[in-house]
Amino acid sequence: MSDIWITLLGLGLASFVIRLGGFLLAGRLPQTGRWARGMEALPGCLIMALVTLMMVRGGVVEWAAGVMVLLVAAKSRNLLLSMLTGMIAVALLRLVL
Amino acid sequence: MHRTSNTTISDALLGARDMLPMTLAASTYGAAFGILAMKSGFSVSQSLSMSALVFAGSAQLIALDQLLAGAGAGAAILAGAALNMRMLLVTASMRPALAGRPWWQIMAGVYLATDASVALIQAARDRGSAASYWYQFGGNASLLVVWILATGIGALLSFGIPTPERFGLDYAIIAVFVALLPGLWRGKSDLWPWIVAAGSVIGMTFLFPSQASWALIIGAVLGAFTAGMIRDE
Repeated sequence: MSDIWITLLGLGLASFVIRLGGFLLAGRLPQTGRWARGMEALPGCLIMALVTLMMVRGGVVEWAAGVMVLLVAAKSRNLLLSMLTGMIAVALLRLVL
Repeated sequence: MHRTSNTTISDALLGARDMLPMTLAASTYGAAFGILAMKSGFSVSQSLSMSALVFAGSAQLIALDQLLAGAGAGAAILAGAALNMRMLLVTASMRPALAGRPWWQIMAGVYLATDASVALIQAARDRGSAASYWYQFGGNASLLVVWILATGIGALLSFGIPTPERFGLDYAIIAVFVALLPGLWRGKSDLWPWIVAAGSVIGMTFLFPSQASWALIIGAVLGAFTAGMIRDE
């Protein structure tokens, strides 16, 4: 079985277990305090870490396009539009630089 | 019985209607995922299966990125599951509507939980009523259907997009993650956690250049740990 199938089946199962876990543990999960603050911050930190990881490998073109994407995303909150902006910006900058 | 099923259907329809703003947002997100999955070597059935089974955009994308980076299925599942840990809080907030239901309704209810489910519960509160089981089911199920359809549309669109490098398609996945940041930013309290997450990744990349997937997990956990340690004002 390919890595793709293993990943999507494994992640599907893991996601379901997490979702069921939240229901089962509902009364016992701390709603405030350190643990809750950490849990709420985790998604943002993970994406921030990933963007950093991608950007340390990038050059001027990638950084310039990244700033444009950030501005468009902050204004529009539209993921497809932001993605297309980034693709077009990179394509154009690569022609110029 | 007849009366009960009538309220069931009208509750479900109301939920689907209140979900519409989130459904629209998910349709562009799903199309973006469909395009990226196909360009990353997924088949159409793999793209659709992932959207149907995982039903969490950012987790699907991070798993995709880990596979592309050659980190392997284990690292891909770990990164996606780490991102989905927040679902613990989502389904915990769904408990009042789920508790005491037949087991298969509980299974279906939690399976459909996403970030948008929290917004839907809030939408019901704004109406001045509690979000009933079928209200949430209707809203969340409509999101799943649109999510899968949008993935399919993205997958089909990907056939019309030519040669990767030249059109900046290799940059598309980076752009999507950058574009997720403004929505994840919750204000000043995120500043130090994000700095720690980014700083850890930079440090790890210098010290252990070949351990990218560990840099990712460690950076995220240290950032979340920082958020936990910072005191509320």
